[in-house]
Amino acid sequence: MSAISIKKLNKFYDSNHVIRDASIEIESNSFTVLVGPSGCGKSTILRMIAGLEEVDSGAISIDGNVVNSLHPKERGIAMVFQSYALYPHMTVFDNIGFGLRLEGQSKHEIEAGVSEAARILKIEDLLDRKPRQLSGGQRQRVAIGRAITRKPKVFLFDEPLSNLDAALRVQMRVELAKLHDQLTATMLYVTHDQTEAMTMADRIVVLDKGEVSQAGAPLELYNSPKNSFVASFIGSPTMNFLKARAVAVTKGSVTIKLLDDLELKIANGDTAVSVGDELTLGVRPENLSLVQTPKAHCTGKVSVVEQLGSQTFLYLETVDGPLILEADGSTKIKVGDLAPISFDVKRCHLFNKHHQKI
Amino acid sequence: MTGNLKNVNVIGAWLLGFLWLWPLLYAIWAAIHPIEYQVRFDIFAPLTLFNFKNAWAQAPFAQYMLNTLIYVTLTTSSQFVVCALAAFAFARFEFPLKNVLFGLVLIQLLIHPEVVLIENYKTIRFLGLMDTIPAISLPYIASAFGIFVLRQTFKTVPKALDDAALIDGANTLQILRHVYIPLSLPTFVAYGLVSISYHWNNYLWPLIVTNSDDSRVLNVGLAVFSMEEAGVEWATISAATLMVTAPLIIAFLIFQRQFIESFSTTGIK
Repeated sequence: MSAISIKKLNKFYDSNHVIRDASIEIESNSFTVLVGPSGCGKSTILRMIAGLEEVDSGAISIDGNVVNSLHPKERGIAMVFQSYALYPHMTVFDNIGFGLRLEGQSKHEIEAGVSEAARILKIEDLLDRKPRQLSGGQRQRVAIGRAITRKPKVFLFDEPLSNLDAALRVQMRVELAKLHDQLTATMLYVTHDQTEAMTMADRIVVLDKGEVSQAGAPLELYNSPKNSFVASFIGSPTMNFLKARAVAVTKGSVTIKLLDDLELKIANGDTAVSVGDELTLGVRPENLSLVQTPKAHCTGKVSVVEQLGSQTFLYLETVDGPLILEADGSTKIKVGDLAPISFDVKRCHLFNKHHQKI
Repeated sequence: MTGNLKNVNVIGAWLLGFLWLWPLLYAIWAAIHPIEYQVRFDIFAPLTLFNFKNAWAQAPFAQYMLNTLIYVTLTTSSQFVVCALAAFAFARFEFPLKNVLFGLVLIQLLIHPEVVLIENYKTIRFLGLMDTIPAISLPYIASAFGIFVLRQTFKTVPKALDDAALIDGANTLQILRHVYIPLSLPTFVAYGLVSISYHWNNYLWPLIVTNSDDSRVLNVGLAVFSMEEAGVEWATISAATLMVTAPLIIAFLIFQRQFIESFSTTGIK
């Protein structure tokens, strides 16, 4: 059974339609990431699940019960905020135990709950401090501790790592993944960072302008994006897109012609394409390679070389447009060189003029 | 140049301080010396507590002190409750005519209490509260200043804390009680001190609505001395004045640091 089921959800701010008919199923005990650029409505959906925003139409169910009109505390959820939202006047102990205190639990039960959370998050020695005496990472742990003590069915995370520095973010990412295994709870995580989504998620839901663009396992989205938005959003550096035109269609393949008259035969299951259609060719940087000139499909002038050690990203200018190519870490190519490029035609994607994959 | 300026500031501060302190110093002098020394300075003048005894005997000061304490406590605590609730509503909720109502609150700030003296008197008489302590408090409880100052402070509380408290299971009043009020304590302290000292010194309204010693407050009682037709005894008045102001002065000396900190953090003057 789904832990969270969202059906035909809509939300308006005045006349802005910010969530459009969003339907999302979130499996029990999964780690699901809602990802999208800023303003796509991902935080709004999270806040509607939490009960912090009204639902204009549609239904949100948690564990089979429709929760649209329930108070946040009755939904069996806990939330970790981007700003941590720790109570500045309370000690770490009181911050973590506040929910238990409001439930009217005894002093003994509160102490047990808080020390359990503190043990899991290794913050036992911080309990007497005030939030202002903590570092960003420590505050983040306290915020997570506050969520743990509520023993929720669902954890909601609203961009919890975006205020941390890069090194700490990587560390917390690993710890959150461990925490998920340890607690066996359903976690719903919102981020604009596709790397976080790819590395942490069991399942990713990509949102675009308030609509669900595609949902699936990370590699499924990476390898078979349904549309050019998902294709460009998932993966870093981003996928290359080139204008093309269909020149021949056979069963199982489409031959396209790029601007410089280069013809490529792309494997394609869908035949809803006809000769003359305007298409977009999508190819990831790692599906382009530097080859010997006779085998090259085309050439590009190197404008930037980004050496990361294990690999090198080349930014190329071609007749068809700019391309990013992932080359070997030991490549000797320099800015200004003419690079012979080959496309891995088995790994190319074609999108129609409505940006849908064909 | 900056050194000179600093010196001028220091001298100016001492001069002003002395100017303000002078009446108090004189009152202490007159109160603890026999009547013949009230306008004669002699460092070896004999000390006496006679003036305090004399003043204490001339009016039921114990009763006045109790009345004043009840009046000030009732007023300030009621103001805290009413103003905190109103300020919370203005700071965090949307309701019809919110801006109009808040405008009315602001207008109240411009009206001096003496202007509405007669209307207030009629209201108190209508309620049948004449010559009672609640009658002295009532007109001040819905304090526009309190609502305004607390609203400004509440507006600085991050909204994310409301969300966190909602998720933690708090209802609206619990959010106010456990999040907003603790975070606004300096404002409550500063506002409370302003209110206490204002009401401790309040004179005209208590004079008008009280007739008997059962409800009369210190300040009104004190006025009895200066209405003597036989002439003014400065020694007795000074002793009585010191008794009346002592609780406030002692409280200020004890809470001096919190007092100044609260004022500097909240911007109330």
